[in-house]
Amino acid sequence: MIFLKKRRIVLDFEQHPRLKEFKFSFSKILRNPLSFIGLSLIFLFLMIALFTPLIAVPEKPEEPFRIPHEGYSVVPKPPSPGHPFGTTTKQYDIFYGVIWGTRTAFRIGFMVVGSILVIGLVVGSISGYFGGIIDEIIMRITDIFMALPLLILAMAIVTALGRSLDNIMKSLIIVGWPIYARTIRGSILTIREEDFVRAAQAQGAGTLRVIFKHVLPNAIYPVLILASLDIGAMVLTAAALSFLGLGAQEGYADWGQMVSLARNYIVGPQGQPFLYWYVVTIPGLFILFFVLGWNLLGDALRDIFDPRLRRK
Amino acid sequence: MRELQSAESVLEIDKLKVNFYTYEGVVKAIDEISFALEDGDTLGIVGETGCGKSVTVLSILRLILPPGRIESGCILYGTKDSCIDLTQKNDEFMRSIRGNDISMIFQEAGNALNPVLSVGYQVSESFLLHRQQELCESVLNRIAEKRDRLSAYQRFRTWRYRRKLRKAEGNLLKDRHYGRLLKVEALRWSVDLLRSLGIPNPDEVVKRYPHELSGGMQQRVVISMALGCNPAVLIADEPTSNLDVTIQAQILQLLEDLKERYHSSILFITHDLGVVSEVSDKVIVLYAGTIVEFAEVRELFKNPLHPYTSALLHSVPHLGSRERLESIGGNVPNLVSPPSGCRFHPRCPHVMDICREQKPELYRGMEGADNRHLAACFLYQQEGVA
Amino acid sequence: MNFLNYIIRRLLLLIVVLIGVTLIIFALLSLFTPEQRASAFIRDIKQLEHIDSIIKTYGLDRPIFVQYFNWLREIFKGNFGWSTTVSRPAIEAFKNFLPNTVELALFSAPFIILGGIWLGSVSAVHHDKPIDHFTRFLSIVGWSLPTFWFGLVLLMVFYGYFRGLFPPEILGYKAQVFVESGEFVRYTRINTIDALLNGRFWIFVDAIRHLVLPVITLTTIQIALVMRIMRSSMLESLGKGYVLTARAKGAAPRTVIRRHARRNALIPVITVSGWLFAQLMGGVVITETIFNRKGLGWWWAKAATQLDIPAVLMAVLFNGALFVVINLIVDLLYAYIDPRVRLR
Ligand SMILES: Nc1ncnc2c1ncn2[C@@H]1O[C@H](COP(=O)(O)OP(=O)(O)OP(=O)(O)O)[C@@H](O)[C@H]1O
Ligand code: SF4
Ligand SMILES: [Mg+2]
Repeated sequence: MIFLKKRRIVLDFEQHPRLKEFKFSFSKILRNPLSFIGLSLIFLFLMIALFTPLIAVPEKPEEPFRIPHEGYSVVPKPPSPGHPFGTTTKQYDIFYGVIWGTRTAFRIGFMVVGSILVIGLVVGSISGYFGGIIDEIIMRITDIFMALPLLILAMAIVTALGRSLDNIMKSLIIVGWPIYARTIRGSILTIREEDFVRAAQAQGAGTLRVIFKHVLPNAIYPVLILASLDIGAMVLTAAALSFLGLGAQEGYADWGQMVSLARNYIVGPQGQPFLYWYVVTIPGLFILFFVLGWNLLGDALRDIFDPRLRRK
Repeated sequence: MRELQSAESVLEIDKLKVNFYTYEGVVKAIDEISFALEDGDTLGIVGETGCGKSVTVLSILRLILPPGRIESGCILYGTKDSCIDLTQKNDEFMRSIRGNDISMIFQEAGNALNPVLSVGYQVSESFLLHRQQELCESVLNRIAEKRDRLSAYQRFRTWRYRRKLRKAEGNLLKDRHYGRLLKVEALRWSVDLLRSLGIPNPDEVVKRYPHELSGGMQQRVVISMALGCNPAVLIADEPTSNLDVTIQAQILQLLEDLKERYHSSILFITHDLGVVSEVSDKVIVLYAGTIVEFAEVRELFKNPLHPYTSALLHSVPHLGSRERLESIGGNVPNLVSPPSGCRFHPRCPHVMDICREQKPELYRGMEGADNRHLAACFLYQQEGVA
Repeated sequence: MNFLNYIIRRLLLLIVVLIGVTLIIFALLSLFTPEQRASAFIRDIKQLEHIDSIIKTYGLDRPIFVQYFNWLREIFKGNFGWSTTVSRPAIEAFKNFLPNTVELALFSAPFIILGGIWLGSVSAVHHDKPIDHFTRFLSIVGWSLPTFWFGLVLLMVFYGYFRGLFPPEILGYKAQVFVESGEFVRYTRINTIDALLNGRFWIFVDAIRHLVLPVITLTTIQIALVMRIMRSSMLESLGKGYVLTARAKGAAPRTVIRRHARRNALIPVITVSGWLFAQLMGGVVITETIFNRKGLGWWWAKAATQLDIPAVLMAVLFNGALFVVINLIVDLLYAYIDPRVRLR
């Protein structure tokens, strides 16, 4: 017994510190009920997105994102065997819409946050690593972005580029990158001063090597947390823009637009106020749970990686 | 009811055990340590960093926070006739002890002072917490003194004050008006206290914020916070470790004077052997959460018994000596899975088989000696358990 | 004097920021062709034939900096342009919509900030206990709610089910007519305050009823922000040496939390609160749109989707000014709470 115990400890010490840290963090994520719920939600949506064509079989495989509709009657119809979540105005099938909307949501989240991350990493590294006048200019630009009404700006950009989902994504990228550039620069500045980076530089490691091998891996955590929170936030903003009528053409599988379609059917006729509850509630709950999943995960990550609170 | 072992003690710790339940495992920070603090004495506790000095004294005040827990043992406080076991008391009772009967000076003055509260408030807080009755009386006296010089209306108002203050009902601090009277009075007391600690122009200092004071001054303020209510036991957790040498000497001198003046007993923690030889009467040497040696201070330096103590003494440079410094081989043990038996055995030059299996008790160091010099080492087993 | 100096210097920064933000907008405008920019001025399909003349009259084919200086010159003359969305001068529309936005901000900010501080400290004090998980979960759910959807659901319940208990818009019909009549003096143009000043309690009640749902929406969604900052800074503060000192003095947990830990923990909260207040004042686009409250957000949302450039520039200018002023206030509050901070 004693022998076994000792062996385990020895193995522990042999692990790469970063790997050990990662294992520690991961076990904390799984042990925290909130982040566990978050991970499960994300996993569920990932499954939906993976198996979309099996869950909701498209009628026209060449245009799967078009929600099928039967007729043009504006009055929504309640759930029935053919339409498990009912139909919204103009008889678009809600079930089909929310299931395919999952893919749209992932696309928006990953594309927007991914692009912002790349831009932010490049700009932030340049700014943080080289400092001086370049840094000054980039930081003043990001300062000024902080003072802008970003949502209104994004709306104006979408309008100018033409109303579509792709343009919503573009506009979110345009207004979103400065925060990332700032965060990455901030963490690079702290890490650049640390001893191991100094040591690497003293050993004559090239600039790029230092950035990629020593600085970025250590600067990335705060950014990943921000990114996880922002996938939720970006999907939410995109849905809001969609809701305001800036998104794809009518009938595209997109949660924001589906809520928007329900707008005239919030309040039922006299005496039956909740008659059309399903048209607004169901797509909204999909947005809520999707965003909630990412936010729970991001929030837990933030706690776990917060050096001030770590290992309490 | 437990009794104190000796008539001279004010504080006795008996088989105290403290664990921390962390992610890495159970940290066995303190493992069944026992010692006594005698009235009017200064007891030094020395040991390397992480050996459990702070945890020991924090558990006396029951200030160990989760994930830490006092597992077992007694902390007896009082006199031979009437003593209490602090581990059995509830938090409300402990609050009346903390800062009043037993108070503490913390490791780093800079951290121990709240940056957003004025020095005056922080010093007067312990008066407000523990000396309300006396503050009321003092306010009453002050009112009585100038009574003749007041107008009829003012006299009416002071009459109302006096009635309420005399009854001192409820928590007067909560009352906006009387609370302020008490606070002003407590501030006066603080000024007096700071002056008595030799702080130049205390009226100014009480209005300042901690960051405006020098390190030595901050430490004096921290000391005055602890001394305000004239505690029977003063715990000083490395009060001088971050100060430069001259200030350090001043602070030590101050503590010495205060001990005389207030008749307190002091539990003095340090990792500096030089300091401990100056201030304490007796010394405990801690190693990895266990007591390894206990002796009078001169005796300890003259004749260290435990292998750890002698190694420790050899690692201190002596002025003028050309002797090479020896370092203690090996590492400080991990307290999650401490070495079996004697916790020092992996580093001990005299290690025997028994050391790996059995935990040594505190043995009498020399024949003939009473319980004045004890060491937890099997080398002294033949002399018998203390 | 020093203090005044400081404020003046900070306000000079305002000019820099305003020039910066407008430059960025003009830089963005230059990404479009003059035709695209001209589309902002087209109200009618027939005008498409006259697109060139529109470009000429608005100087849209000239270099962007010429356009910028033209625009600056007009601003200094007090001409902020014509907002096509509301068919009146932008500055007049601004004055008209501002009070409604201010009213909403004034009513929701206390709930968000004080509520967030309270929840955050409760959560921190009970760190990792069920109540901590519970409040955090609720606040994250709030933070994840799509504003537009939550607003609609609230309307469904409180307007539909409870028969108009908490209606959308700003005032009921009767109240609106009365407010616009000569009998009602509009001191501040903020309905709740004016109603009290006029002693018309029924109008006050009516205005409050219209405020309830937007305030609930904003509070539910934004409270998480303040809460989580408060929670983490409170946790940090509770672990500090001075908290241990206070406990060692014999202070009760309440005193320790309120007097020793909370004040230090408030320092970072001030920053988010300032940011949040700037957001609230700068027009809460979606909430105002959903509840049809005609405030700045409502106007600017409409303007942005119709490329009403003067209105968008107005939004940018106002937000920039707000940003600077609120940052100034935040710094002053810092200095008030934290004696270590010196105003330089
Ligand atoms: N909150 C805690 N959580 C986990 N372990 C702790 C905690 N506090 C103390 N310990 C453990 O208890 C042991 C003793 O710590 P303690 O603070 O008493 O050391 P110390 O002797 O005061 O050292 P120093 O000279 O550095 O002040 C340490 O090994 C530490 O790992
Ligand atoms: S008990 Fe054994 S191992 Fe421990 S100090 Fe004594 S001789 Fe060394
Ligand atoms: Mg210590």
